[in-house]
Amino acid sequence: MLAVVQMLIIVALAPLVQGAMKRLRARLQGRPGPSIIQPYRDLAKLWGKEAALPEGTSIITICAPGLSLGVALTFAAALPFAGPTAISIVDIVALAFLLGLGRFVLALAALDTRSAFAGMASSREMTFASLVEPALLVALLGGAALGHGTSFAALRMAPFGLAGTLAFGAFFLVLLAETARIPVDNQETHYELTMIHEGLVLEYASWQLAMLQLATYIRQLSFLLLSTLLLPGGFSVWLAPFWVISIAGAITLVETMFAKLRLFEVPQLLTTAFLLAVTSIGLRLFGAMV
Amino acid sequence: MMLRLSGVGATWLVAAIAALLAVVAGTHHTPLSLVTLAAPTPALRVTLGLSPLAAPFLMLLALLAIPVGAWSLRRGRPVDAALIAGFTLAMLLVLIARTVVAFFFTWEAMSLISAFLVAAHHERRGVRRATFVYLVVAQTGAACVLVALVILAVWAGDPSFTAIGRAAATLPSRLREAVFVLALLGFGSKAGLLPLHFWLPRAHPVAPANASALLSGAMLKVALYGLLLVTLELAAPGPTAWGLTLILIGTISAVGGVLYAVVDHDLKRLLAYHSVENVGIIVIGAGVALLARSQGNAALAALALTAALFHTINHGLFKGLLFLGAGTVADTEGTVDLERLGGLWGHLVWTAPLFLIGCAAITALPPFNGFVSEWMTFQSLIGGLASGGGAAIRLVLLGSIAGLALTGGLAAACFVKVFGVVFLGRPRRAREAPACRERFDAPALALALLAAACTMFGVAPLLVVSPLDRIAAAAIGAAPLPLPSLPMLPLTLVALPLAGAAIAAALAARRGVRSVPTWTCGSPVTPSAQYTATAFSKPLRTIFAFVLLPERQRLVETGASPWFPVRIRYRTESRYVIDEAARRFAAVTLRLTRRARALQSGSLRLYLAYAVATMILVVVVAR
Repeated sequence: MLAVVQMLIIVALAPLVQGAMKRLRARLQGRPGPSIIQPYRDLAKLWGKEAALPEGTSIITICAPGLSLGVALTFAAALPFAGPTAISIVDIVALAFLLGLGRFVLALAALDTRSAFAGMASSREMTFASLVEPALLVALLGGAALGHGTSFAALRMAPFGLAGTLAFGAFFLVLLAETARIPVDNQETHYELTMIHEGLVLEYASWQLAMLQLATYIRQLSFLLLSTLLLPGGFSVWLAPFWVISIAGAITLVETMFAKLRLFEVPQLLTTAFLLAVTSIGLRLFGAMV
Repeated sequence: MMLRLSGVGATWLVAAIAALLAVVAGTHHTPLSLVTLAAPTPALRVTLGLSPLAAPFLMLLALLAIPVGAWSLRRGRPVDAALIAGFTLAMLLVLIARTVVAFFFTWEAMSLISAFLVAAHHERRGVRRATFVYLVVAQTGAACVLVALVILAVWAGDPSFTAIGRAAATLPSRLREAVFVLALLGFGSKAGLLPLHFWLPRAHPVAPANASALLSGAMLKVALYGLLLVTLELAAPGPTAWGLTLILIGTISAVGGVLYAVVDHDLKRLLAYHSVENVGIIVIGAGVALLARSQGNAALAALALTAALFHTINHGLFKGLLFLGAGTVADTEGTVDLERLGGLWGHLVWTAPLFLIGCAAITALPPFNGFVSEWMTFQSLIGGLASGGGAAIRLVLLGSIAGLALTGGLAAACFVKVFGVVFLGRPRRAREAPACRERFDAPALALALLAAACTMFGVAPLLVVSPLDRIAAAAIGAAPLPLPSLPMLPLTLVALPLAGAAIAAALAARRGVRSVPTWTCGSPVTPSAQYTATAFSKPLRTIFAFVLLPERQRLVETGASPWFPVRIRYRTESRYVIDEAARRFAAVTLRLTRRARALQSGSLRLYLAYAVATMILVVVVAR
């Protein structure tokens, strides 16, 4: 029951976080920017429209938005803020596979639309995802106290410190990639050739697009919450909003201060994340031995 | 027709026997002797028997041979159906051989029958070459295996595996190491571990699809059975280095195999590379089992062994499904080149969704079987990392976790490419006759059986994991670490996504979806505008260029204006590090031999001088 409450809170607040980040980014760039509740309005508007898909697409494309939303909801429900619940048997490895499921179906749907833009996005999304995955897992392992088990119900964090800082640094880079932020991707681009995440859903419209966007917002907030586990006081429900606001602010700052990387420079960023995570886990493991 | 029917019937009979033996072997905790043939000397004794370790492999053989038989009822050549019966029988006999002679002869029978299957289309030059490479590797490997087994038998003074296992504890460490290295070479080359995998992507694609399914799904596993037999029973217990070696080689094979798969666009060769990858994952599990056992952590060792055995069965099932699906595609389309296929979803109405289940299973997506066994492998690696050990051990385990995660991501990229390019979108070339809708026939039933097994073992993993736990406990001597979340995990993960997919489909049916043209910036929508397999893997080819050594050629034919090319030809191919090394080695050898030819002048006096010089040298040295 608590897991459902947690999931509903995340769903309710996810568009707000997106709106706030967009607004903050606009203000940092000297523009007034849209209202922070604009994502809710967009979702409501899209929900009422008629759906349109390319001719002859398969059932995969039709199911993908709902499946994607389901994956995001499971992610939101599994986070360990509500204490141990039936769904928190999900662990960090299974979480990576679950996110893989959502990505797999979305990438297939993109190829199903026959669009070269969507195919390009599909290829890039899968490429970067394969590089993100090792960094994601090792960063989470670097922050966790090994030996308790990796499920969210049993997960215990190791004391924060230099190793914890490095693990969080690695996860922050992963976060930029997973939430489609500059310098990896640009959510606000209108140029098909530079799109990654937007390109995947290029052919969707109306309520199907609304489902996909809501899924993206939920995933973003869930990832932000997941990253707070790596910070001091990680499991506290009361500290989490503070951390989420800080990290979201930091992401927006990065988006304002940096330009998008060239496509083939992104692997270097992701490798950096991986190496930071390895260093962190190395400090944890060998610190005890030296 | 008679040949085909009797071949399929014999295959099913062997499968039934294998299933029966698997049940008996799995329920007995000690090796069981079935038949002993009299021999002139005790050294040549042939004993067939059952050991608990063989049970999962026998079960896999049964589960795979039945659908392969069903597929062969309608597709493939009749003679292949008959050969497959013999091949299945040979593999069954390897698994129940309990003396050195029995093992060696059945092993050779398995290699030779499979070579006939690889050489099915021997009228093509490439096929003959592939068969030759396969035979050379198989025979060299068999020699290594024979030497290893003979060393063990001589030490034990008895050729039966039971006696060898009993004498293993007293084996001197020099001999133990030698046996391990030989077994790793012999069984590892047969299983397709890097860097001795090179025969596999040559042999598997040229064999008929039903043979490929068995080669990849079952024969590689028989080789892994041999490796486990030697390391866990015949030469046990091994030092920590064995486990570490296996984890390292497994990780390298997993990452290397999937990298070559991602950039390949021949469907069957790509699947063969995925076999290298999955054998790597199994060997990682086996390595953790050996490592944990040598550290005295028996519970973790049993968990890792369960994971390895489960992945063995799972890989057999989904790889069988994918190879048979590729066979159906090859039969109906006449090619397995990804660049020429497309849009098969429309008329292969049974093969396409079943193939998708295979893709999801091999990518380790929940709720399919590949997910559960890969997840268990991860759990055992993390367990190893948490349970301590020296710096080297922890580094290897950490590297393996990262490698496995990278492998998972690359496999996902590869199968998005495969399924998206082959089955989705629109056909890439015009077809002469309109494609007819596939009917539900025996080959489709074969795919459905395998897909059902992949789903069932994923949704209800305890069906397999509980018996495997007992077998692992018998082999290691302790119950595996419990994984309390395992029974409910796959369904917990997919409940909401499946509900979401159903709701999205229902909403689309109720509210209607308008059909519109694909957005192409206003230019005409043509099939050739779709992303191709080569294009899809381009970023990965660029990022991993340091391993893949891609070679590319771009020819632009321009007409009247240099700005509007008439035609662009693009060709890219990966050179293989191992082939490059072999080529360098051959080049150096040839250069040296050419130099050495100067010694051969043909003059008798010079030869006499050589002889005298050698004699003087020998006398000087020997003094």
